[in-house]
Amino acid sequence: MTDAAMTPESARPTKSLTHEDARTKKRNASERRFRAYGIAAICTGLFFLLALLAAILSAGLPAFRQAVVEVPFTMTQEQFDEAEEAMLKTAIYTDYFITSLSDTMQAEGVQIEFDEDAVDRLLGKVGGDLRAYYRENQDQIGEQIGFELAASSRVDRYLKGTFTRDDLQSGNRFFMPEDFDLIDAMQEAGLIKQVFNWNFITGVDTGVDNPGGAGIGASVLGSFFMMLVVLALSLPIGVAASIYLEEFAPKNRFTDFIEVNIANLAAVPSIVFGILGLAVFIQFAHLPQSAPLVGGLVLTLMTLPTIIISTRASLKAVPPSIRDAALGVGASKMQSVFHHVLPLAAPGILTGTIIGLAQALGETAPLLLIGMVGFVARYPDTFVEGFLEPNSAVPAQIYNWAARSDAVFTEKAWGGIIVLLLFLITMNTIAVILRRRFERRW
Amino acid sequence: MNDMRIVERDVDQNDVKIAAKGVQVYYGDTHAIKDVDVDIEDKTVTAFIGPSGCGKSTFLRCINRMNDTIDVCRVMGDIHIDGEDIYDSKVDPVQLRAKVGMVFQKPNPFPKSIYDNVAYGPRIHGLAKNKAELDDLVEKSLRRGAIWDEVKDRLDAPGTGLSGGQQQRLCIARAVATEPEVLLMDEPCSALDPIATAQVEELIDELRQSYSVVIVTHSMQQAARVSQKTAFFHLGNLVEYGETGQIFTNPVDPRTESYITGRIG
Repeated sequence: MTDAAMTPESARPTKSLTHEDARTKKRNASERRFRAYGIAAICTGLFFLLALLAAILSAGLPAFRQAVVEVPFTMTQEQFDEAEEAMLKTAIYTDYFITSLSDTMQAEGVQIEFDEDAVDRLLGKVGGDLRAYYRENQDQIGEQIGFELAASSRVDRYLKGTFTRDDLQSGNRFFMPEDFDLIDAMQEAGLIKQVFNWNFITGVDTGVDNPGGAGIGASVLGSFFMMLVVLALSLPIGVAASIYLEEFAPKNRFTDFIEVNIANLAAVPSIVFGILGLAVFIQFAHLPQSAPLVGGLVLTLMTLPTIIISTRASLKAVPPSIRDAALGVGASKMQSVFHHVLPLAAPGILTGTIIGLAQALGETAPLLLIGMVGFVARYPDTFVEGFLEPNSAVPAQIYNWAARSDAVFTEKAWGGIIVLLLFLITMNTIAVILRRRFERRW
Repeated sequence: MNDMRIVERDVDQNDVKIAAKGVQVYYGDTHAIKDVDVDIEDKTVTAFIGPSGCGKSTFLRCINRMNDTIDVCRVMGDIHIDGEDIYDSKVDPVQLRAKVGMVFQKPNPFPKSIYDNVAYGPRIHGLAKNKAELDDLVEKSLRRGAIWDEVKDRLDAPGTGLSGGQQQRLCIARAVATEPEVLLMDEPCSALDPIATAQVEELIDELRQSYSVVIVTHSMQQAARVSQKTAFFHLGNLVEYGETGQIFTNPVDPRTESYITGRIG
């Protein structure tokens, strides 16, 4: 710097406005850089999101499809009578089916030899199914019907390409090498088709011998009952606590202490709530183990801080002029809160609640500790049993499936994740819609 | 200021409505109001003027105990309305505020319909026995607020959708709907344009027929236009209180003179 540069005359910029000086250039460059970083960050986020979605969908969607074998079948009255008089009734029915199946394939120009064990392995106990159907529907005797039989999970996987001839280990009594030929033959004859697997939505968990039959229905119900408990407890308690703390409580050390601890509670790891639930609700209060009631109580503890914090934030966001206006016309404190402040804060409270519920819905760790991860193969019979009988929950069921060795269960786990995500997306959409609708009123 | 036209005023002596004696207000350690004595008359417009932070709004909020909602605020001294001490432990501030209505600086209609804005006060105080009575009361209040003609066709429209001046008149209508005896106005025109201000001022003059109106204002012209009595506050003290004409033309205290001539404030 020369002395001349210090004088006001030369310090004043005299350059043209259309020309960028060095400082401006530097400033603009840094702004452009910052924008580029931002866009890069968003793109990275989007990329991971898409990769995640693609992985989930490609691995999980097959769980919603199922291969069925459709065989046209006619039962005559004589055949029915004969089978019913025989000693091994279902064996006769199986024979009828095998005849019908090979006839159908022959008609399509496919020649293959197979025995009833192969049918057993691929399609389950066909004879029993047939007999049960015709004993129920005797008017169908003599008519031709298209019989749909669910193929076993290995057939499914063979058709999807995740199970090949090379994967088959010798000595597997669930599957023989010649079964591949039978599947190929049935496919060639056009008997195999893919249908939506309703059983996955409505079914219950199964053992390792029938991975294809496992469904997520019972655990969805378990999650539903837990959410009922969480909603019924955490919404009123959370909102009442926030209103008191925000509007009525004196500001002193004690309320400050409570406030700090609510914030701390929101950051406590969920497994801690799980062990607390185990100690307090099950070991001390002797509530039934593995029950959605206990799961709901534990998740309520977890959801409360979320609801309290979001409720207080939305109460704080209501302009004080509204409170003044209400007090100014002679409303009591409580009237001003319930008539004016609370309705204005409702959208925020609602959103916080639904987000809290969604968080609770996806929570797994505490459920492991209170035993909601067991094998549950039945629906509760009554509404009350839904709360008290052992059940699982969707995320716990997913965890359970993912831990099993059979690849079919892994597929089910991915499918379960899709179901869980659908629930979460639905809840968030409801939150957004309710918020919009409430806000439009004001 | 000197060429301001001071109208002929009705300076009849009215009954004293609000009597304040030795009022002190502290915000924490700050002494906001220092020993204020003032007698406010019935059916009179009393203006509080003074520079920002001089305590005029604080004093106004003492009259309907709105300061109770501020934790750090302590009020001492006596304020009597119709001879009753409003800081008596037996007084319910809710009943007091029904008797002493308030209009705020910023228009603050409830985010409800125009009808519900006005009907809210009567509803919570049980002033109307049925829907028809309530309808009448709402119409009467809106007429008093000089806004009936503008909103009579859209009573279901949200109050927040009105213009600023209309919102303020709606707030005045809301305040008079509970049939108060005193109406406190805290700079009611500071957010309004001159036309809306003129409408509100005209309204204040009409309201004087039935209420004791206390108005805080930053505009000395406004004080001169609407009030019969004026109180000048400075640094928490009540410097001078008297007939508006006398305060503006012949102030006793040199501080008042400095303020109204624009030398301080």
